[in-house]
Amino acid sequence: MNLDDALDTFVIESRELLENMEAALLQIEQSPDDADLINAIFRAAHTIKGSAGLFGQDHLVTFTHSAENVLDQVRGGHLAISGELVAVFLGVCDHIGTLVDCVAEKRPIPEEAQARSVELIQRLKAVSGEATPAPTTTSQLVEHVAPEAACVREGGGEGVETGNWHISLRFNPDVLKNGMDPVSFIRYLGTFGRIVSIVTLTDALPGIAEFDPEDCYLGFEINYETEADKAAIEAAFEFVRDDARIRILPPHSLVDEYLALIQSFPEEDLRLGEILIRCGTLTRHELERALETQTQARDDGADAQRIGEVLVAQNLVQPAVVEAALQKQKQVKENKTGDASLIRVNADKLDEHINLIGELIIASAGINLAAQKSGQPDLLEAASLLNRLVENIRDSALQLRMVQIGATFNKFQRVVRDVSREIGKDIRLEISGADTELDKTVVEKIGDPLTHLVRNSMDHGIEPADVRLAAGKPAHGTLRLNAYHDSGSIVIEVSDDGGGLNKARILAKAIDRGLIKPDQVLTDDEIHGLIFEPGFSTAAQINNLSGRGVGMDVVRRNIIALRGSVEIESEEGIGATMRIRLPLTLAIIDGFLVEVGNSSFVVPLEMVVECVELTEAEIAASQGRDQLDLRGEVLPFIRLRDLFEIDEPARAHNDQRHSTGAEEDLATVLQPVKRENVVVVNYAGHRAGLVVDNLQGEYQTVIRPLGAVFSGLQGISGFTILGTGMVALILDVPGLVKRVARQETQTHPPARALPA
Amino acid sequence: MAKTILIVDDSASLRQVVSIALKGAGYDIIEAFDGKDALSKLDGRKIHLIISDVNMPNMDGISFVKAAKQLPAYKFTPVIMLTTEAGADKKAAGQAAGAKAWVVKPFQPAQMLTAVSMLILP
Repeated sequence: MNLDDALDTFVIESRELLENMEAALLQIEQSPDDADLINAIFRAAHTIKGSAGLFGQDHLVTFTHSAENVLDQVRGGHLAISGELVAVFLGVCDHIGTLVDCVAEKRPIPEEAQARSVELIQRLKAVSGEATPAPTTTSQLVEHVAPEAACVREGGGEGVETGNWHISLRFNPDVLKNGMDPVSFIRYLGTFGRIVSIVTLTDALPGIAEFDPEDCYLGFEINYETEADKAAIEAAFEFVRDDARIRILPPHSLVDEYLALIQSFPEEDLRLGEILIRCGTLTRHELERALETQTQARDDGADAQRIGEVLVAQNLVQPAVVEAALQKQKQVKENKTGDASLIRVNADKLDEHINLIGELIIASAGINLAAQKSGQPDLLEAASLLNRLVENIRDSALQLRMVQIGATFNKFQRVVRDVSREIGKDIRLEISGADTELDKTVVEKIGDPLTHLVRNSMDHGIEPADVRLAAGKPAHGTLRLNAYHDSGSIVIEVSDDGGGLNKARILAKAIDRGLIKPDQVLTDDEIHGLIFEPGFSTAAQINNLSGRGVGMDVVRRNIIALRGSVEIESEEGIGATMRIRLPLTLAIIDGFLVEVGNSSFVVPLEMVVECVELTEAEIAASQGRDQLDLRGEVLPFIRLRDLFEIDEPARAHNDQRHSTGAEEDLATVLQPVKRENVVVVNYAGHRAGLVVDNLQGEYQTVIRPLGAVFSGLQGISGFTILGTGMVALILDVPGLVKRVARQETQTHPPARALPA
Repeated sequence: MAKTILIVDDSASLRQVVSIALKGAGYDIIEAFDGKDALSKLDGRKIHLIISDVNMPNMDGISFVKAAKQLPAYKFTPVIMLTTEAGADKKAAGQAAGAKAWVVKPFQPAQMLTAVSMLILP
């Protein structure tokens, strides 16, 4: 680092600080108790003083030091902010600016500026109520150096001494009584270095009446040139350590050396203090002191400060060095986790990887088809091997994106704590199933809806303590977050032990809002579902959490966008459970390929329970009700042909003759009778049958989202490309099941609704 | 004028080694073999530094330093205590008596010279 560059930095930094100081001064009259403002002013003066010392700007150091002393009194609450004080400090601020300008132009401080310094110091003493000591002039201030010390001083404007150490000494009053002569330590410094300049600070001198000749009132700012390291300099003061405050700031030129040194350290897991000691910028003794200060501040109930902050605040280490050490620490930590055989991969790369695997699956399906057509045993075998490997790759690739939901759950500890304090309820959070894994994309998107549900439960679900006690429940409410896997979906539950949903109130509100007709008969689930309707809110009082009726419908929309669903289970007086059901992954699924006419459809395999044949006899038995007797249970079914208005199979078979192989053709010939199959699907406890023509079996499905044009489409959730290059639509089973359930309730009274 | 140091230790050999080292550096040396003897040497003459052992017969180092600090002429004289171990309680007692500087035995003559020159230069 060039010394002139460093000086420029100092000038720019000082001007910025002065601007902040001025702004804070102007504000502080309005808000005299604002600790931040006082700190800002103090910090500005303190930092300028510290840096000026490094550049050997003794006049600036002395002057700023006087200002800092008064500010310290203000900060400590010993001195109140007054109009007069602010006025003096605005003058001080301007004057520091003038002095900094002198530094910038590298010219000595003119006589009138020196006189102004004296005048301002007098005024500072006056406003702080300090007894004016024996008349002091700046020239005295600056040149009153320890006469015996081997010091060289040539006026205030001496060049930039950044190659030198800056030692700041403040002796305790008792030091002389302990047989220690401050000057002897300074003289000792001369044995292994050169004292370039020394400034004696006399501002602690009391008035003559209080002056005790056996006390030491002096402080010293020393500009010191040596080859020795910091520990050696500190050792010079070994015997006065307890009797003095000692700050040793390394020269700017050494800072670069420290930075280089820190970088070159082997990668070991070190604490910040250890790194700084090792590079020589901090001594063990300084660290101990700083740690003590930190502990004490914590005991005093102050905000916890990091050790790095303490070190910088006490001017023990330059911020840049702390920064470098922290960087090093972080680097070591990251590499350490690397040792635990973890690699950090950009999520985009992973997404691209999964996209490519999707393409690979489609391509391998094509090869499979071609192999089957050719009928060559070698090719068939190779293709089936390839297929199996592709499947494995797909699984492991998808596994890469799986993350545990625990991290998301744990965020709610804080939410629950803060919100319960805010609304004045004592609510505890219990978490289970934190190790349940789900796709990273899903995790990212589930946070918001989950927050809404948690807040909703805390606000509406859990009753105030007096109500709870009256109901015989513990005074503190419990909120539970739970996650588990269930038939290819992940289920996330938010449950509370509150009052449950008030059905009567929900109904009244829904009728009031025109969501339902007064005479409409609804099942419990339907009533609960009403709270997800747009514009619904039952909170009597609107607070800042929930109650504006925007939360719950947004929750449902977000979850549906993730191909999931949300349901409520509630018992009045006992509690409520919100259950979110989400697909495990959003990219590739195991599908079950079926055909209706010449169209192909994919049913997510995890939702398929079984396949049965739909015979003419059964159709006749159902009496046109689209129901089927499945081993004594009523199974409602839906005809995809009718639903999607697909042409009759006769034409389809003709088309298929061209597109598929001879075996297919043979099958048609062998079974000329119209034959239908029912795919029994299960979603969230509801069963339904889907009537299709042909079953093609398992099929690896790469999910492609539908374009925006088709967003209103019902019964379809996406599409995929088959090995033949044809498109198959992915059935929206949850939507279809719900549709079947709705038809049921419409044709039958609610009491007879299918058992869930 | 050379500065005068009073060395108090019951071990003659230690006194000798330290004397040689310090004399070589340009200090004047006065020796005393225990606390009592040392007190008798504090007869008003100028002494710039006292180096004292802790464990000594007749009068131990801490009592000696306490007594020395009572004498107006030696109130501000710096004291270096010699100890075999840096026992915290001993150290606290010594500090209360007015000894702020400590050198732990065994030490090299050069170490003693460094400690002395921190407090007084010849």
